[in-house]
Amino acid sequence: MLLDERLIEKAIGTALEKGGEFADLYAERGYTTSLSLEDDKLEKISRGIDAGASIRVVRGNSISFVSTDRVDEKSLLAAARLAGEGVLGGGGSARALHGVTAGSVHRIEIAPESVSASEKAQLLRDANAAARAMGSEVVQVSVGFSDEVSEIQMANSDGELAREERARVRLIARVVAARGGVVQTGYDSIGAHRGMELFSAGAAQQVGETAASKAIVMLDSRPSPSGKMTVVMHRGFGGVLFHEACGHGLEADAVEKGASVFAGRVGERVASELVTLVDDGSIPNEWGSNAFDDEGVPTRRNILIEKGILKGFLYDRLRARNAGVAPTGNGRRQSFRHPPIPRMTNTFILAGDSTPEQIIAATERGFYAKTLSGGQVEPATGDFVFGVSEGYLIENGRVSYPLRGATLIGNGFTALRNVDMVAGDFEMNIGVCGKDGQGVPVGSGQGTLRILDLTVGGTEVA
Amino acid sequence: MSVLDTARKALGVAAATGVEQSEAFAQLGRSLRVKVYRQEVEELVSSTGSGVGIRVFSGGSVGYAYTSDLSDQSLKAAAQAAADAMSVTAPDEFAGLPEPAGEFSPLELYSPELAALPVADKIAFAMRVEKAALGSDSRISQVESATYSEGDSHIALANSLGFEHQFSETSCYSFLQAIAEQDGQMQTGISFTTGRNLEQMDAEATGREAAWRALSLLGAGQCASMSCPVVMDPFVTASVIGAIGSVLTGEAVQKKRSMFAGREGQRVAGALVNLLDDGIHPDGLATAPFDGEGVPTRQTGLIKNGELQAFLYDTYSGRKDGRTSTGNGARGSYRSQPRVSPTNLRLLGGSVSPEQMLAGVDLGFYVMDVTGMHSGVNPVSGDFSVGATGRLIRSGSLAEPVREVTIAGNLLDMLDTIKKIGNDNRWVPFGGSIHAPSIMIGQMTVSGK
Repeated sequence: MLLDERLIEKAIGTALEKGGEFADLYAERGYTTSLSLEDDKLEKISRGIDAGASIRVVRGNSISFVSTDRVDEKSLLAAARLAGEGVLGGGGSARALHGVTAGSVHRIEIAPESVSASEKAQLLRDANAAARAMGSEVVQVSVGFSDEVSEIQMANSDGELAREERARVRLIARVVAARGGVVQTGYDSIGAHRGMELFSAGAAQQVGETAASKAIVMLDSRPSPSGKMTVVMHRGFGGVLFHEACGHGLEADAVEKGASVFAGRVGERVASELVTLVDDGSIPNEWGSNAFDDEGVPTRRNILIEKGILKGFLYDRLRARNAGVAPTGNGRRQSFRHPPIPRMTNTFILAGDSTPEQIIAATERGFYAKTLSGGQVEPATGDFVFGVSEGYLIENGRVSYPLRGATLIGNGFTALRNVDMVAGDFEMNIGVCGKDGQGVPVGSGQGTLRILDLTVGGTEVA
Repeated sequence: MSVLDTARKALGVAAATGVEQSEAFAQLGRSLRVKVYRQEVEELVSSTGSGVGIRVFSGGSVGYAYTSDLSDQSLKAAAQAAADAMSVTAPDEFAGLPEPAGEFSPLELYSPELAALPVADKIAFAMRVEKAALGSDSRISQVESATYSEGDSHIALANSLGFEHQFSETSCYSFLQAIAEQDGQMQTGISFTTGRNLEQMDAEATGREAAWRALSLLGAGQCASMSCPVVMDPFVTASVIGAIGSVLTGEAVQKKRSMFAGREGQRVAGALVNLLDDGIHPDGLATAPFDGEGVPTRQTGLIKNGELQAFLYDTYSGRKDGRTSTGNGARGSYRSQPRVSPTNLRLLGGSVSPEQMLAGVDLGFYVMDVTGMHSGVNPVSGDFSVGATGRLIRSGSLAEPVREVTIAGNLLDMLDTIKKIGNDNRWVPFGGSIHAPSIMIGQMTVSGK
């Protein structure tokens, strides 16, 4: 156990001495390992210990938050006093701690710390060798591995006390391929809230192979045309588009301030009836899953959009209280150094009835986005932009040659309405989402789907 | 215990593991952030933190470990983890500590007054920023949040070749995003100001600028696709310079990740282009007397009158090319090992004002924001495609606002066709520390409807 329960109670009590309506404490001790390989060489390895705690006091819409990396009684109570001084008045009081309902279960079979650094290094070498074996065009491979195990305690002045042990592992590969004067890159990754069992059955090799094949196939690409096109999003990766274009606008902090295109529209049709958008932080062992969110609320399945109708938003405790609803288990933070804010977990569009083949065949001329390289959105307007690292032209209902240098640009609100086909080949992808300077692991997913009238920005004027 | 004492202590623990060379990087920091919404404090966040990163070398192998827990037990565990990690990394003849080097530039980076100022003054500053935005036009519906943040950092480095130094720095920063609304459309505009103390920052100008940027985009829509001259404001120029700077390193070239590989001594940009990495500029937020491995920082000319002069090196990548480090072995914090990175990038300003720059353009695009720069650029080929918002330029003046378009091209072609450089340089703290002016590019592809 990280902190003694008596000390936690004392700290929360101290935090509320000067005022405030609610106070909570988050303590964490984590161990990380990261390794990187490039140029056929295991270059870097790092081990880390991160430990500390933070205390938050809430009064009305103000929060005062103090973090410290010393968790001895003196330091912790000093942090609690400082947090309490940040909000005056309010008259809250602390209740005695009691346990909370258990959160979802994420079984870890092979603990990352039980596996030696040299066995982890072998995974990077395997991915590297597999990538290089894909073709002589492969000129550079970089592979990164990281694992993180942590123990977390979350307690608050309502007396709730939650405890969780988390473990995450991830492997990523980046490949550069060249032929003639053309150079292209490919990327793939795998990650989960899981132990080293994720890498059984050649998973590391597969990441290397996939990244290499993406880079190699793009060597034959031609410059992408520009203009409005019908866009087919390949399964998995397109989920990140909906994460950015819709998900951020469904986070309650943006909604509360009216800085979201979805604010005030619950019950209204905001998407095509083929779209059911879900955020679920309780899926066993998924990358964006945890037993509890980072405020001690059990994670759960939240339906955001059902058959095109807006159902609700993603809340942390503070915004849920303001809206008069129950928290949805989406109060997340990067670490004890950061205050929790509403965040997505695993966000996805439910599988549809079409097949990917039907979708392609039904598309006379279009853009097939197979891999997106990342993107950004402005939640207030819903405008988004995405780079496409692997894209193809669709001509006469068939996938034709690859296209490079394309960007997808549009508006989340409009794109949701323009989804006209969704396939059943559902897949999740992993990523790290940045917001307010905090990165958290998130998953996103969908089956292959089609969006009408999206702007493709390429280098050729159509 | 002072931060230098922490470094010395960690160095002793590391050396005791029996490694050939060892280094300890210790950091002690304090930060404060205030967020204001509708003239009330929304968030007051303060933190204190310290930690140490231990790097060890034996037989050409390197190991690294860090800990935020400075107890004897955790220090020992970290030192042992670093030493054990060496068995995994490949031996490399170029790995090792830097040779002891020359003098540091005298720099004044610490402002003790800032920490001493009452929090109320800092809250008041953020409130002034918000008020200036709200008061500048009735169409400004809200400021999503006005932030003030500051930090002190005390850094010490000690290594087994006898290096033992420390420095302290202070910085503060204010940022806001204003929202303008008209006819059911919302547009956002950002601004920021930076300094080493409160007096160096202008709350009112910052608030007004964010408001202006949001207002000037009201009514924006897609424009027709076209090839046209493009003028980038300093924010946008900074994004471009950041993308270019990241591949102007010896490491990027060695790893075949740079569009500038093999181009040293060649013309890579228009003759007006002068780009400098400046680790000692008093106003740069990346300024420090020495880098993350103890090498003195300096100015390095990267592009001079359009000609590629040099790449940036840390100790390792420098040795690999038979060069010395340029003082660019940067560290984000004690959690990370040194890695080559620009310090402050300065694209030297020209002689024309932004207005004069627009004056020569019959039909063009004035870019105020680009999105996707980090994902939309191919570092090897230089091909890029990014989302853009801004205004059309018609007959030399700013005309209708534009959004949901992309601009695409190639960074090398773009550098080559920089026709004008503005005299409006300013520091932009996004994606590095960059001093950038407005620039005009001869021709780019704008994709809209």
